[in-house]
Amino acid sequence: MNARRVVAVARRVASQFRRDHRTLGLLFGAPILVLALVGALWGSSDTRVTRIVVATTPPVPAPVLDALRRIDTLVVSTDSPEGAMQRLRDGTADAMIALRAGVARTEIVVTLEGSDPLRTGGVLGAVQKGILSAAGGAPGAAPPLQVEYLYGGPDRSLLDHLAPLFIAFFAFFFTFLLSAVSFLRERTTGTLERLLATPLRRGELVVGYLIGFGIFALLQAAVIIGFTVWVLQVRYQGSLATIFLIEAMLVICAVSIGLFASAFARTELQAIQFIPLIVVPQAFLAGFLVPVDQLPDVLRPFSVVMPLTYAMEALRAVMVKGYALADALILRDVAVLGAFGLITIAGAIASIRREVA
Amino acid sequence: MLGTASAVEARDVRKRFGPVEALRGLTVTVRTGEIYGLLGPNGSGKTTLIRCVAGLVRPDGGALSVLGDRPRDAVASGRVGYMTQVPALYVELSAQENLAFFAALMGVSDADGRIERALRTVELLDRRRSVVATLSGGMRQRLSLAAALLPDPRLLLLDEPTVGVDPGLRREFWAHFRSLAVAGVTILVASHVMDEAARCDRLGLIRDGRVLAEGSAEELRSRAGTADLESAFLALSEAPS
Repeated sequence: MNARRVVAVARRVASQFRRDHRTLGLLFGAPILVLALVGALWGSSDTRVTRIVVATTPPVPAPVLDALRRIDTLVVSTDSPEGAMQRLRDGTADAMIALRAGVARTEIVVTLEGSDPLRTGGVLGAVQKGILSAAGGAPGAAPPLQVEYLYGGPDRSLLDHLAPLFIAFFAFFFTFLLSAVSFLRERTTGTLERLLATPLRRGELVVGYLIGFGIFALLQAAVIIGFTVWVLQVRYQGSLATIFLIEAMLVICAVSIGLFASAFARTELQAIQFIPLIVVPQAFLAGFLVPVDQLPDVLRPFSVVMPLTYAMEALRAVMVKGYALADALILRDVAVLGAFGLITIAGAIASIRREVA
Repeated sequence: MLGTASAVEARDVRKRFGPVEALRGLTVTVRTGEIYGLLGPNGSGKTTLIRCVAGLVRPDGGALSVLGDRPRDAVASGRVGYMTQVPALYVELSAQENLAFFAALMGVSDADGRIERALRTVELLDRRRSVVATLSGGMRQRLSLAAALLPDPRLLLLDEPTVGVDPGLRREFWAHFRSLAVAGVTILVASHVMDEAARCDRLGLIRDGRVLAEGSAEELRSRAGTADLESAFLALSEAPS
């Protein structure tokens, strides 16, 4: 091994790095960005309050209610059993507590919303702790606790709960990356210049790309959903057609975000560098790792402007909770995804400028 | 004979890319049916002017008309053919598929017939089914020319069309350009190859985004008092403007 040649190679690599400011920025900036997100998500020691609603019939003894109310991690309210169930369903309560006369003795039934395993464990722990301390702290003092679930339950696997998120995430990730890289090739090989010197309009080019890519992206979506449902045997409710529609809206956004992003890259390496900037934050903030409503206040606004947030919310509602397309939540999410699609298409068109130096 | 109307009329055209002033008040008139050569060193503004004419770059100042219209309107009407410096083709597609794609964009009627003629013109008819990735550099250059010829353009823009093309093929290219010009097609060609420049009807010597001198190769030689075009170019570009 000749040291001079080795040094020459090492030096050349270092010089190239020094000149490529973006790669350098990414090398040091991306881990800091990702770690900062991790810190903001999980590093906070704030105790989150758990909203519990206590059903008034059969009546819960006042001392128990008072004891629950004294616990500062719980926000306790009361409602009729139907009202309490409705609040669990519409998300204004995290858990419902009711008494039920058992054969031997009265038991406490804790009903959890149950669609999000990331949340369920925390809520159950907080409720158990609350009831235990309301009962005076001794494990034997509290009546037996029965845990039930509004959606799913212990018979559901973690995969059943997470599949909607994976389906959305992978469709977005692969479609975004492929469309960014292939449109970048159009920009860098000179074919874009040639296309723009024909009667072709920029809007026609983008819509053509959307259709051409969209066909494969939708096929991919069908494969992902089919594999999840039939091979992985994920239990789901709701209709496959609605699941597919939500997925289709998401991949349209992914293609046009890819086309748009390609304007800011000059090489394929730079296009791949978008992953930590565009894909990873969405995974962190769109409900994949932490429920959106449990995000720190500083990060929550970001989740609002990410298409993945709405796709994940809608897919979970359909697949885990059995929502239909006609439900207000799904209609809203599909409409928001459609709006994202139109905005990102407009962005993609605007990013194709005739003016390239 | 050359027509009297102008195909390209550039008056005091200016274009700046950040700190670089690519065109500094460039004035050029290309007459209908002539082969006009933009001759100048790399970075002189030839490509920028061609891209302005192709509607790809909007001048910052001055007036530019192409076939009597604004550049983009002339291009959108399908009357302008453009051959880029690097053969811009889809390497995964065959020669035929590339041409069919461009024909569809340009709204060419009788596309099959025109594609066949264009392929015959550039002598690639036997390679029509070959994927572009398998073609040599010269073949790609020829295919790129075929794509520019598809719409039957009134104005053909050629940006260094024979870079990397062997001398035999270069001669054939020029014979073809000449026959197009005889048929009434105006050709604006950028080059820094002197023997190519000598084949143009008129030349504009460009440096630093301005036209230094204009005329036929013969006129430029006699104006500079030199024996060949290359010396004429050097003499004229060193003269105080």
